[in-house]
Amino acid sequence: MMKLRLSGLSCGVCANFRRPISLCYSNSISSSSAEVKPKIPLYLRPLSFSASLSELTQWHKWAKNLASSVGSSFVHLDNGPDSTLLRRELNWLLQDLLELQHHSAILSHLESGNSENVDVSVALRAPLEELYCVWRQRIEERRPFQYVVGCEHWRDLVLSVQEGVLIPRPETEMIIDLVENVALNKFPELAKGFWADLGTGSGAIAIATARTLSTHAHAHGRVIATDLSPVAIAVAAFNVQIYGLQDVVEVRKGSWFEPLKDVRGKLAGVLSNPPYVPSGDISGLQAEVGQHEPKLALDGGISGTSDLLHLIDGAASMLKPGGFFALETNGEKQSKFLVDYIENDKPGSFCNINIVSDFAGIQRFVMGFRQ
Amino acid sequence: MSAFIFKRAGNGSSLISQYSRTKTRALCFSQPLHSFLDSNQNSKVLDSGYSSILLKSLKKPRGSFWALQNSSFLGSQNQHSFHLNLKGWIWAGQFGTQAAIEPCTSDGLTVDGITGSKWTILEESESDWRSHAAATAQSIQVIKKRLQWKKLMVRLDMLSVELNKPDLWNDPVHAGKISREHGSLMGKIKEVKTFEQELLEHIDMIKLAREENDSELESESMKALLRMRRDSKDKELEALLAGEHDSCSCYIEVQAGAGGTESMDWAAMVMQMYQTWAQRRGYGVTVVDEMPGEIAGIKRATIKVDGEYAFGYAKAEVGVHRLVRISPFDSGKRRHTSFAAVAVIPILGDVSTHVQINESDLRIERFRAGGAGGQHVNTTESAVRIVHIPTGITATCQNERSQHQNKASAMAVLQSRLDQLEMAHQAQMNSQHTQSLTEISWGNQIRTYVLHPYRMVKDLRTNYEVSDPDSVLEGDLDDFILSYLSASLDKDDDEQ
Repeated sequence: MMKLRLSGLSCGVCANFRRPISLCYSNSISSSSAEVKPKIPLYLRPLSFSASLSELTQWHKWAKNLASSVGSSFVHLDNGPDSTLLRRELNWLLQDLLELQHHSAILSHLESGNSENVDVSVALRAPLEELYCVWRQRIEERRPFQYVVGCEHWRDLVLSVQEGVLIPRPETEMIIDLVENVALNKFPELAKGFWADLGTGSGAIAIATARTLSTHAHAHGRVIATDLSPVAIAVAAFNVQIYGLQDVVEVRKGSWFEPLKDVRGKLAGVLSNPPYVPSGDISGLQAEVGQHEPKLALDGGISGTSDLLHLIDGAASMLKPGGFFALETNGEKQSKFLVDYIENDKPGSFCNINIVSDFAGIQRFVMGFRQ
Repeated sequence: MSAFIFKRAGNGSSLISQYSRTKTRALCFSQPLHSFLDSNQNSKVLDSGYSSILLKSLKKPRGSFWALQNSSFLGSQNQHSFHLNLKGWIWAGQFGTQAAIEPCTSDGLTVDGITGSKWTILEESESDWRSHAAATAQSIQVIKKRLQWKKLMVRLDMLSVELNKPDLWNDPVHAGKISREHGSLMGKIKEVKTFEQELLEHIDMIKLAREENDSELESESMKALLRMRRDSKDKELEALLAGEHDSCSCYIEVQAGAGGTESMDWAAMVMQMYQTWAQRRGYGVTVVDEMPGEIAGIKRATIKVDGEYAFGYAKAEVGVHRLVRISPFDSGKRRHTSFAAVAVIPILGDVSTHVQINESDLRIERFRAGGAGGQHVNTTESAVRIVHIPTGITATCQNERSQHQNKASAMAVLQSRLDQLEMAHQAQMNSQHTQSLTEISWGNQIRTYVLHPYRMVKDLRTNYEVSDPDSVLEGDLDDFILSYLSASLDKDDDEQ
């Protein structure tokens, strides 16, 4: 088994794109390593490589054709991406690969297919061989695009992600709106307290919450982000650093509330997007998810609610009176189940319990306040 | 008819002011002017002296604004003349009408006079002051024409009447608009006037230098004249883009006409042409919205062009573009004619001029992965479509990489579309509005691109044509744009 080289610049991938793909990269993470070094996302790497414009054009043409060959076959297979979306991803890959100020000029050169200036050398953030390799991974292995470029754009953030860390979903963006519109607008004093993002993964919720807290005048709110996975811890810490929030967001390793004993009963907010996919659904997931994203962040037990129930129990003892919680769920069934659980098994613990639908109309979030 | 002439003796300068048809207002005007001049005050005091008169004249409903305008000119001009101490001025004009002041040299030469005397314009390298002056004066005439000088003055008059209404500030939004436009027109007028003045000053200098055999001063002034001659060429170009929103960034939208894949391919070529054009001009280009065709090309697309004067140039492209070629999508190799419609929307820089959008009037539709969503799905698709329910106007964005950003971009497009609609409503007040895609009729062809049987691009509005379609399709559009912009100003001028 090939060991994953997590060191940044080489990105631990193929030296030669002609090698079998299985040698190009490995998505296994050795959990034994105490200190995981996060990968540097493509857009942050230095422009240490170059290719002639004609070489780049050749690659682009190849990559575009590969994307087009997919048609809508993935859509029919497992609701995966179609070729239109893949071609858009290809543009984004170029965006991350090239120097920002030259991106649109080079892109329009590639699109126009004119054959001027073919000898011009273009500075790249990764060698061309690697690009052949990763694009083939994207199409043939369905490796998520976000892992290919090492980042995900989420809300107004660009978050570093890599194998072993759940890619934040657009649905989850709404948790921050709930923090802003439901919690902080009604109870501004919550902005001064400790907030927890449990199972933080890339750190998305924690970082966006910290930025929201800081928009409130005189707020000195802090966010503690926890995760069991050492890769998640490393990536979340890296993202916190990118946004210069080391003084506001603290990343702690451990399971759910375990590392939070010092703030028991003091939390102003508890937020989480815990694993909630029922175990039985895991094998049928879209290839990008099921074959590449960490099971640890997806599998929520037989009914998918084991971690959610644990979080409700914990929130009851960890939140201070008036504290806010918001949890993402699998949908209507889980949300209603949680509300029932709160009302029947935790009487008097919480108030103003609500189910909030996501933009697709699915009852996605359960939120409320500690009594 | 009465005329007042003030002469100030001392250190060689004379200040002459002449008013015709002055009425009582001018009389009260003249009194403090006289006393200030006599007491040898500087121009700052002059300014304040005028403003006290203004208080009186403001009470009069018409013409009073012209006192305001004149006073500011007098103030600034005097500043010049006092610094130079060898200036002579003739102010001639009618209160309540237009262009009250005509700067001239100490011996009475005006800019119109220079053009009138038809001095030969030689190469720039020829060191002849008359030639430089004549070239510059000619440019000034072009600039004035392009600024639609006469219309400008009429508009300024209208605005000043508005500004003097006592109830103006009851509607602060309207008042703000009026005073901003007034300020911007005043700025343009002042710029031209200052430029004229500068030209005349240099001519005076040259004459003086010759009289006194000061060769250093003469060569300095000659250099200055040459510099003005060169500057005036840039100003001519700038004056083409004097519209209210010309300096704004903009969106360019292209939509394929009927005719399936062939038309969609043409629409993509047109969009590509604008992207390269914008990049060559150094503008930032981002694709906001793109609906690809099934086989090739685009059904419709929107790009954002960021940079100074993007709208001013791009607005010349609004209309239908027609292509004639052997279609690569026709196995029978027949000749096809395709159409693509182009719309250009300014992105208003001044937030206060934006149309207010009520959140409750919006329906926000997001891309939804089918099925369970959430952790089940990993997609980079995060398109957002926003519908403004009262007007039915929509905006879509799918090229940003997060849903949050797609929503922000779509909102920005929607804002500009609503602003454009509002501009259309106020079209009689504001002639700067460009047509939206829905307004453009397919009969409104502005340019034809022929690739077969001969090769040519011809603008149907200006008859400007080139025989190299490839260079045009690669973004070489400036000549088309500039010839249209100058032609349309000439046309406006004729209609005056």
